[in-house]
Amino acid sequence: MSSSDDIAAQNVQIWKMKRVIRWLDSVRGNGTSMISLISNGRAQISQLSAMLTQEYGTASNIKSRVNRLSVLAAITSTQQRLKLYTRMPNNGLVLFVGTIVTDDGKEKKVSIDFEPHRPINTSLYLCDNKFHTEALQELLESDTKFGFIIMDGNGSLFGTLAGNTREVINKFTVDLPKKHGRGGQSAMRFSRLRDEKRHNYVRKVAEVAVQHFITADKINVAGLVLAGSADFKNELSQSDLFDPRLASKIVKIVDVSYGGENGFNQAIDLSAESLQNVKFVQEKKLISRYFDEISLDTGKFCFGIEDTLRALDLGAVQDLIVFENLEVTRHKLRNAAGEEVVLHISKGQEDDRSKFIDQSTGSEMEPIGEPQSLLEWFAENYKEFGANLEFVTDKSQEGAQFVRGFGGVGGLLRYKVDLAHLAALDEDNMSDEFYDSDDE
Amino acid sequence: MNPNARSFNFNPSASGFVPSWATPPQAQQQQQQEQQYTQGYPYAQQGGYGGYPYDQPYNPQQGYAGYAPPAMQPQMPEQPQQPQRLSAKEQMEMMSGSGGGGASQPVSLSLGGAPAKPSAKELLERKSDTPAKSMSISLGGAKPKPAEKPAAATKEAPKEAPKAAPAPKAAPASAAAPPKAATPQPKSASPAPSKSNDTSGTSTPVSKSAILAAQGKTDTIIKESRAAADAETLKDLFGADGVQPKQHLNVVFCGHVDAGKSTMGGQLLHLTGMVDKRTLEKYEKDAKEAGRESWYLSWALDSTPQEREKGKTVEVGRAFFETEQRRYTILDAPGHKGYVPSMISGAAQADVAVLVISARKGEFETGFEKGGQTREHVVLAKTAGVQKMIVVVNKMDEPTVQWDKSRFDEIVTKLNPFLKGSGFNLKTDVTYIPVSAYSGDNIKEPVSKSKVDWVEGPALIPFLDSMPLVDRNFSAPLMMPISEKYKDMGTMVVGKIESGTLKVNDKLTLMPNRDQVEVMSIENEVDEPVPIALCGDNVRLKLRGVDDENVQVGFVLTDPKKPVKTVRQFEAQLAILDHKNIICAGYGAMMHCHTLAEEVNLAALLHYYDKKTGRKSKKAPQFAKKGQKIVALLESTGPVCVERFNDYPQLGRFTLRDEGKTVAIGKITKLIEKTETGELADVSTGVQDMAINK
Repeated sequence: MSSSDDIAAQNVQIWKMKRVIRWLDSVRGNGTSMISLISNGRAQISQLSAMLTQEYGTASNIKSRVNRLSVLAAITSTQQRLKLYTRMPNNGLVLFVGTIVTDDGKEKKVSIDFEPHRPINTSLYLCDNKFHTEALQELLESDTKFGFIIMDGNGSLFGTLAGNTREVINKFTVDLPKKHGRGGQSAMRFSRLRDEKRHNYVRKVAEVAVQHFITADKINVAGLVLAGSADFKNELSQSDLFDPRLASKIVKIVDVSYGGENGFNQAIDLSAESLQNVKFVQEKKLISRYFDEISLDTGKFCFGIEDTLRALDLGAVQDLIVFENLEVTRHKLRNAAGEEVVLHISKGQEDDRSKFIDQSTGSEMEPIGEPQSLLEWFAENYKEFGANLEFVTDKSQEGAQFVRGFGGVGGLLRYKVDLAHLAALDEDNMSDEFYDSDDE
Repeated sequence: MNPNARSFNFNPSASGFVPSWATPPQAQQQQQQEQQYTQGYPYAQQGGYGGYPYDQPYNPQQGYAGYAPPAMQPQMPEQPQQPQRLSAKEQMEMMSGSGGGGASQPVSLSLGGAPAKPSAKELLERKSDTPAKSMSISLGGAKPKPAEKPAAATKEAPKEAPKAAPAPKAAPASAAAPPKAATPQPKSASPAPSKSNDTSGTSTPVSKSAILAAQGKTDTIIKESRAAADAETLKDLFGADGVQPKQHLNVVFCGHVDAGKSTMGGQLLHLTGMVDKRTLEKYEKDAKEAGRESWYLSWALDSTPQEREKGKTVEVGRAFFETEQRRYTILDAPGHKGYVPSMISGAAQADVAVLVISARKGEFETGFEKGGQTREHVVLAKTAGVQKMIVVVNKMDEPTVQWDKSRFDEIVTKLNPFLKGSGFNLKTDVTYIPVSAYSGDNIKEPVSKSKVDWVEGPALIPFLDSMPLVDRNFSAPLMMPISEKYKDMGTMVVGKIESGTLKVNDKLTLMPNRDQVEVMSIENEVDEPVPIALCGDNVRLKLRGVDDENVQVGFVLTDPKKPVKTVRQFEAQLAILDHKNIICAGYGAMMHCHTLAEEVNLAALLHYYDKKTGRKSKKAPQFAKKGQKIVALLESTGPVCVERFNDYPQLGRFTLRDEGKTVAIGKITKLIEKTETGELADVSTGVQDMAINK
């Protein structure tokens, strides 16, 4: 139980880190006064603070007064931050300190410190006009990257799967002679031509595979999956033309009925057991489970923001599934009667102020605090509802369906909840739900 | 265009057709038309027409004996008047392009008849094309008239203007009763004027009510004329009697893996003498060496080493045989579940499916279980447009079966409910034949009574010969989905003609890229060049004007004037057959439609059908699951050539497959076109609907 909790918590942490990184990437400062300090877990805090003291000395020689002051200020606050740590966290430490310029031209001091979710291997100290997050980006990328080669008689597709990103690196089509069709040529000649073309095709695929999956003489994927409809994939795997370094990394050979994207998806599906640790596969599994509940009509599911929040309030949600790029903001407002009203507005609707109008008075309601992204709110509050929070992408077939068909918010429930009665209003006009005839 | 054409272009679009012919410019046109008319007459005579008595007015093609069109064109320049000659020539081209018939003048009659069905609607819907159509029609009108000309001369002046109208009238009326000696003449003379008002109403897009009113009258005629038109087209192309080639039938073999489909195909070829003994002996020897003695028959169809090695067909095998009655193209589909996409492309070209079932103990059961290909193939064949199913119970000579009647009956009883559920009418569409493909029993000759006494009914080949032929739509615009292409001294494409006809030198459009191509040569199944190919034929064409790299399987070769629609989005009814959980917007799958395979995405679910009442919901469903019927908006990654199911069933039905399973079958109800002519096309489909009264 605890381990699954850990994983879920870690996922949320990763998501939060992603968000922070995205934000850090987007901000810019005045001059070169933004400090990025990353340390691996083997260093000592004292070493870091000694280095900072030295840097402080160096920085006090900066000619420009403005720049000098802001750098010195940043180093000072970094030192203060560092003091909060008595010992180096196991996974290392990440510090970002500096003064940023906000959208409306105001200056704002930022200092962020956290322990990465996985041991970090980089040590870095930089003063620049932006924060350096490259090392963290690498950290987010799952280390297990799998290569896919989908090969059939019509063409080939090369792709990778890492974490929850699925990427198509390259694809090309090929025109192989079909079985029948040519008249007038002798069967021997025809079959020779055919064999030659097939051979060339296998050679091409083998060469392109080396191009994509071997960098600097080293294989850049943890495993390789070969897929295809006919015999080509086996031919490739046994061919001398196929690089032995790649051949040794083949984790699975699967039969798929199509080439191209569809084949890629199916290949991921079929090799799921070999790729169990990949986030993408876990995500697919989770959403499939959710869809199973829906198709069996167990009532142990919910979707849509309203229903999901209701179910959360009941404490019924076991797994809360949210699209990681959900663009819904949560507005907390107070109406004329002094009651708190919570509104969820998706990105397109923000301009439409009618929702912010208090029905009773006709005036706009008073906001309480900053509007917040619903995702953030979920990330902060999911524990209070006793739920697990799972972020999903729309990269997988299931994910795309979840986002497009169900709005990107849903949950698996612990027990059956009749959310239908809440939609009772809609039931009233059930009688004319159908057209009288087919003709609309 | 020639003056004539313009006049017609003008006429139907004028606010009122009938009154307009009284106006001065019209008078001029009349003259022109008359000129052209008289012009048409002598040239008909050239065609060996004049020599015929009235009772033969519809078989003038005898004069052309075989293939009229090439013969006709050289004749044209002999026409005396320069401008007319031009127009005549253009007509020729138009007609040959229109696929409605050959270019011979009599063909125009059939065109006149043929468009009687489309005429009303086509005139309306494709104003830009009207000149072409009406031209041919006007010729059609002229055609039966030469005989009556003196008598009808007076009437002609008024009749001429709305020529488009009386022509189809006259033509179908007479064409529907070609044997009626001289009667056609008075008939066509008298009813034509009386009805001309109605029909002119039809050809003018004035008001819907006019169309509807006329439509009632034309409806019955449409039906008759359509059949007659097809017959006429054929006659025109091949001469009146006997010169017509044998009927052609496309047969697909489907069934579970190892049921004996290829072996059966090989046996058929062997028994009909298409594979000579020596080749077969060689196969037998080779197969023996490979330790696969029983496979030698299938080697006739499984030609690649990969297939022979494993004994599994991978690509659709294509072969040809001929009996005394008919010509057949066999499409040997792969049975393995990994190669179902290939099977679909084969089934899409077939008229009749032969479902091969293994009677061997255990094999039938595996094939018929859930996940076995027997079920999937039946559904796919039905969706691909196959109407008749012959269930061949194979391997009856097996030691575990030994022509046991009870085994055969068991299979029949087990299959029946399923076939019925798949939409086959058990009485009319399904036939069971027990055979042994390997020994050849009950394939050509019935199995000897000494061996088995309970087998009734004809053997497989005689049965195929006696099957009623499926409808062929000869007079419709050409549609030929491409199922194969390659390069061989030019661009070669292979496919089955779904509707219309085509000839050498035809100028066609290759959709969706709108490549203008010309047919350089047509070859039939045995690689013999032929001048004409008809609806239903499986032919290979050499094309000029397009590079083979710009042709893809799933493209459609069409009439330039009525090309197939090309869309990226369409609405369709879907019946969800099998899916692990639910389908909702955002779902992606492979779509198979005719020979096309394309990835599509469900952009939105629009409606669903109530299971009990079958009524359509107003509310969009959140999701759909197995067993439901829904209407959805589909988006393809690239432009696809499809048509509405109601217009061209063969190009409007499709299958959705995903993860090696058939997820759904569907038919297209609405095309969402975004081309520059999109709006126009949309309107036209609307009018067309009314005209055909869907």
